[in-house]
Amino acid sequence: MTPQEAAVMVCAAIAVYAAIRVALEPDTLRKLPFLNVLSFAITGVIALVLPHPLGIVAAAAYFVGSTLESNAIASTYAGGLDRRE
Amino acid sequence: MQEGSIAVNEMVTVSCGALIVIGTILTIKESDPFRKLISLGIMIGGVMPFIVDRGLLDVAIAVALIAPLSTLFTLMICGRGEP
Repeated sequence: MTPQEAAVMVCAAIAVYAAIRVALEPDTLRKLPFLNVLSFAITGVIALVLPHPLGIVAAAAYFVGSTLESNAIASTYAGGLDRRE
Repeated sequence: MQEGSIAVNEMVTVSCGALIVIGTILTIKESDPFRKLISLGIMIGGVMPFIVDRGLLDVAIAVALIAPLSTLFTLMICGRGEP
């Protein structure tokens, strides 16, 4: 097993662990950090599973998109800006 | 070398399949729309390595940029509104 394959295996294990933690978490806001962990692990899998120059671009696009998504869910759930004053 | 590579690819395939199954079951079972969106994020994260594994990197870039946009449009609908 090469070190790159070991890194892919570690990233996949972290992704499954984060998904299980998200599934078992009762509080909605506490789900979102584990969703971020899952996004980082999937980004690692995408970058390592195929050695191609465009794979880095795909990993960066997924990283930006998933971070934007979880931050949008968090800010909308928390109520957004307070515009009442 | 070849045997190890096949085993690693199978483990990544099983892990991402488990992610898709977990995300789909959670999306069906949850009742709050925000929790449904979080579970949908898990499912899309499980789909992405399958697209990359076939070499469809342009499709992967497009999906990675379009999926959060669809989540944003869904969030506009199910926002909390006036407290």
